[in-house]
Amino acid sequence: MDSLKEDLKKHIIEELNLEDLQVSDIDDDALLFSADGVGLDSIDALELIVLMEKFYGIQVTNPDEGKEAFLTINTMADYIEKKKS
Amino acid sequence: MRSITAYCQISEDACYVNGDVVAQKNEESPDSWFKQLYKDLAIEYPKFYKMDMLSQAGFLGSEFIKQTYPGLISSYAEDEVALLFANSESSADTDIRFKESYQDKGSPSPSLFVYTLPNIVLGELAIRNKFYGENMFAVLPKFAPDFFLQYGQIMFETGSKAVLAGWLGILEGKVEVSVFLIEQNKPDGLQFNKQNVIKCASPDDQA
Repeated sequence: MDSLKEDLKKHIIEELNLEDLQVSDIDDDALLFSADGVGLDSIDALELIVLMEKFYGIQVTNPDEGKEAFLTINTMADYIEKKKS
Repeated sequence: MRSITAYCQISEDACYVNGDVVAQKNEESPDSWFKQLYKDLAIEYPKFYKMDMLSQAGFLGSEFIKQTYPGLISSYAEDEVALLFANSESSADTDIRFKESYQDKGSPSPSLFVYTLPNIVLGELAIRNKFYGENMFAVLPKFAPDFFLQYGQIMFETGSKAVLAGWLGILEGKVEVSVFLIEQNKPDGLQFNKQNVIKCASPDDQA
C-alpha cells in the first residue's frame, strides 16, 4: 500500500507538472483540491482521471465516485485497491 | 503623449530588459531556458510550470517588466491596463504537442488541451495581475508594427490608461518574444511610434 501511495505521488507530480513539489511534500491525508492541501484545480481533476486509466487501468466514469476517490492520496490508493480486488 | 516605458525581449539564449542583458541561457543547466528565467525572477507562482510555452513567454516578459517597473500593478486600476498581443504561429506549438498526446501516447492531455488557443496567455496575465481591461490577441501573417500602433490607439481612446503589448513567437524551439509597456503622460521612455515599436518588439531587431 505504501509503495502504491509513493507511486501515485510520483505520477501526480509528473503528470500534473507540479515541479515545485517533492513526493515527501504531499501528506497521505492532505486534501488534493484544497488551497491548504495540494491546491489542484478542475483541469488537474481531468488529468487524474487520465492518470488512473493510464497507470492503473481504471476508468473513473461516475463523477460522484471520482469526487470521493480524489479527496486525498489515501482515498485514491483505497479506490485503486478496491477496483483491483 | 504616449511612450514605451519598459520592454523585455527574450530570444533562444538571452533575455534583455530595456536593451540590457539580464539573463543568458546556461546550456549545462538541466532546466529548460524558460525555467531558468523563472528561477532568475525569484518569485513563487507554481502555476508557471503548468503553462504552455506561449503563456510562459507572456508571463516571463511581463514579470521582467514588473521587476524593472514595480509600480505597474499599483499605478492603475484593475480595468485600466489593456493587453495587446500577437504572433504568427497562434498556439501551434501546443497544438502539435496535444496531437502527439493522443496520437502517439494514447491519451489526450486535458492540461495541454486548455492551452490550444493563443489568447489563453491573456487570461494567465489577467489572473496573475488582475488586469481586467480590454484585451486582444491577433494572429498575423508577420510582425506588423502598425497593428500595435493602431489597435493600441483604440485602446487608449476607449479608456485604457496603459497597454501591455507583445509579440510572442513560439514554435518548436523558436523563441522570438517581446513584451512592452505603453503608457500616457510619462516623461521617460521611447515615443510610441512605428520606429520604436520595431525597436522594442520586432523579433528581427533583438537588442
